[in-house]
Amino acid sequence: MTAGADGAPILEVSGLTKRFGGVTAVNRCSLALAPGRIYGLIGPNGSGKTTLFNCITGLSARDAGTVRFRGRRIDGLPSHRIARLGIGRTFQVIRVFPELTALENLLVVSRGEREAAIMRARELLGFVRLDGLASEFAGNLSYGQQKLLEFIRVLMLDPALILLDEPAAGVNRTLLNELLTAIRGLRDEGRTVLIVEHDMKVVMGLCERVFVLDYGEKIAEGPPEAIQADERVIEAYFGR
Amino acid sequence: MRRALLLAAAVGLLLLGLYPRVASGYGIRFMLQLFMWVALAQSWNLISGLTGYVSFGHVAFFGTGAYATAILVTTHGWPWPAAAVGGGVAAALLALLIGYPCLRLKGPYFAISMLGLNEVMRVLVSYFEGLTGGGLGLSLPTLYASVAIYYAMGLAALAATGAAHLIITSRFGLRLMTIREDEVAAEAMGIDTARYKLYAFLLSAFVPGVVGGLFARDLGYIEPVAVFPLAFTITMIVMALFGGKGTVWGPVLGAAALFVFQELVWARFLYLHQILFGAIIILVVLFVPRGILGVLQQRYRLPRYV
Amino acid sequence: MSVLITPAMVAQVVVSGLLAGALYAMVALGLALIFGVMRVINVAHGTFLTIGAYTTFWWFRLLGLNPYLSLLLAMPLMFLLGMVFQRTMVRRVVNAPELSSLLLTFGLSIALVNVLQLAFASDLRSVEYLTGAFVVGGLAFSKSRVVAFGFAVAITALAYWFLQTTRFGKAIRATSQSPEVAMVCGVNVERVHLFTFGLASALAAAGGSLVAVMVAIQPEMGQVYTFKSFLVIVLGGAGNYPGALLGGLLLGLVEQLASLFLTTQLSEAVAYLLLVLVLLVRPTGLLGGRAT
Repeated sequence: MTAGADGAPILEVSGLTKRFGGVTAVNRCSLALAPGRIYGLIGPNGSGKTTLFNCITGLSARDAGTVRFRGRRIDGLPSHRIARLGIGRTFQVIRVFPELTALENLLVVSRGEREAAIMRARELLGFVRLDGLASEFAGNLSYGQQKLLEFIRVLMLDPALILLDEPAAGVNRTLLNELLTAIRGLRDEGRTVLIVEHDMKVVMGLCERVFVLDYGEKIAEGPPEAIQADERVIEAYFGR
Repeated sequence: MRRALLLAAAVGLLLLGLYPRVASGYGIRFMLQLFMWVALAQSWNLISGLTGYVSFGHVAFFGTGAYATAILVTTHGWPWPAAAVGGGVAAALLALLIGYPCLRLKGPYFAISMLGLNEVMRVLVSYFEGLTGGGLGLSLPTLYASVAIYYAMGLAALAATGAAHLIITSRFGLRLMTIREDEVAAEAMGIDTARYKLYAFLLSAFVPGVVGGLFARDLGYIEPVAVFPLAFTITMIVMALFGGKGTVWGPVLGAAALFVFQELVWARFLYLHQILFGAIIILVVLFVPRGILGVLQQRYRLPRYV
Repeated sequence: MSVLITPAMVAQVVVSGLLAGALYAMVALGLALIFGVMRVINVAHGTFLTIGAYTTFWWFRLLGLNPYLSLLLAMPLMFLLGMVFQRTMVRRVVNAPELSSLLLTFGLSIALVNVLQLAFASDLRSVEYLTGAFVVGGLAFSKSRVVAFGFAVAITALAYWFLQTTRFGKAIRATSQSPEVAMVCGVNVERVHLFTFGLASALAAAGGSLVAVMVAIQPEMGQVYTFKSFLVIVLGGAGNYPGALLGGLLLGLVEQLASLFLTTQLSEAVAYLLLVLVLLVRPTGLLGGRAT
């Protein structure tokens, strides 16, 4: 649980546990993220990754453990407050607002002055080259376009921490590279990113540090190369 | 384009304003009721069309406003315009009381809780006889004020539509719509859905309250069954759905179309008329769920202020 | 409001509550099935009950048919009618946003109620069949309620037996838990939906037949039963079928207790308050069901 040389961790999860009836989806999970890094969260299907995201962002109420964001406890807060505090997330299954236009999807997130918000929204749309589709209903966009839209929508929150749930899923090569570049750009801006991914190439190429979950427990953490060689990780994925 | 629409609207308003000078008593009452339905359909649209939280008991606010107004006029001697506003406030208070707990519930559970609201209000009104005259009803002092009420209802319809325009073209309105689209995602994007739902609900209750008060004044006599009829909720819903749920002018279109139809064609055959309303709801839900204007808006990418 | 509460009164109330509760449980089971299997909120449920009541009334009036016998006929009839509704309309709003199924069944309910109004007018009807009461140890229980209880228990038990032991019953429960997995396991989900809606409608109609002997029949009588069925589901937990049983009994008890202290009208308001309270405090129902 290294905080890194940059000082206090931006996110600290301690002993987080979440049960669904008889199933323990997340079991005393602890991790810490240093600011300005890209982290990966991997593990076999059903290992509790998305549940962990849900607990951090307040979508699910955790049964035990704490979550600290910038030193302040956020567990138990409603998800809209957590979002406003600076944690943004995307979803495994894309959740844009289908009957709002692309521009409106971004606009609803913004606070502050409307004109400035519209400008910022158009800027972000331009950034991912969706500006031509600003007035298109989000439900009419292609899968890849919706993925990008969801991505920049999170940025409208101006988040310090971004949780991405399988950003590479179902995305073609070109788009993927754009996303990866964008994610690195976020890191360079000083934001912290935590990515759930199954695509190992993406994880290895992008993440500076990786956490591995299996059956809701953290079984390993470290730089990608170390994780690749870790016996427990290999066993978790293949050994059963 | 916008300039032309505004000009047309201004002319329309002028014509409506002058109408009572040339119209018969029936004509005035016809338009008066039409205004009332526009206001009611707009108010239902505000909560249910935008947020997707179906208010089945919405006429409870109408009835509450009617009674509050009647009581203010008879027992406290208020002039009826002020009393009507009082009716609106009373309805909004009821919405606060009910909405604060119930809006926390997920969509289907909220709808279930609203199913009973109308009946409960009717029962309560009947029970507290001392205040409301119970089953015997309440009589207001006689007053011929059809023309004044025409203007008042017209103002209510105008205000409701104006509010709809302001809301739907604003971020507030967009946020309400995200509640309908995907409440979980909306929360994750920092939108305090509980608070927004409550605001929408309060606003959506105020207008029926005022309109209920005007209705009471116009009728001169109210009793529980008259002001808490389930048929009113049905009519409101059909109008908003048919015209275009979630749009600004949809409820106006729906109210106009269905009210005219109702008055000219079906008023003679009450039950048949209701059956047809039921059938319309079914057909709209199955084939044109967004209503006429909603479909047009999607197809031709019309701006939000339509 | 100083009423002297004797033990006899309490016993009377408790038993009356249970008698009524079984009926609520049976009808509510139908609603629970529709919601559990298809995620459809059937606001027309009470109207199906009303149809059951009217068929029983007319068979009694025109054919002199024993109402309890006509129950056995009304059920299959409503089963078929339910399947027709499902096939033509409800099918399209299965698993759709709640607004759609709510409005659809609402429209259906309006149309049906007014068809009944048109056909039979709002005159109050009743089936004068089983009058009088059983007197047991100083307590009196109306015969029709006792018989209704018996039928309700039998039918509900049969329904549960069906759901638990037969293959199709298991298919229904499987679909209720996870339609996708059920499909993968070879369950014909469409057929399950069709059958379930039919079954649920039949349960409502059975309730109507039983109720026809006890209360006044008029087109809008179903509304209060729709509401009560929802209350039962909320109490017992959505998608929790044994919960519907418990919820029904609980509702019956609470109702009777409330009527001890309040007028019947106010006890309806109490039922409503109970609904809101339970929804707020334990939205998954007292026994815990699905959180939607």
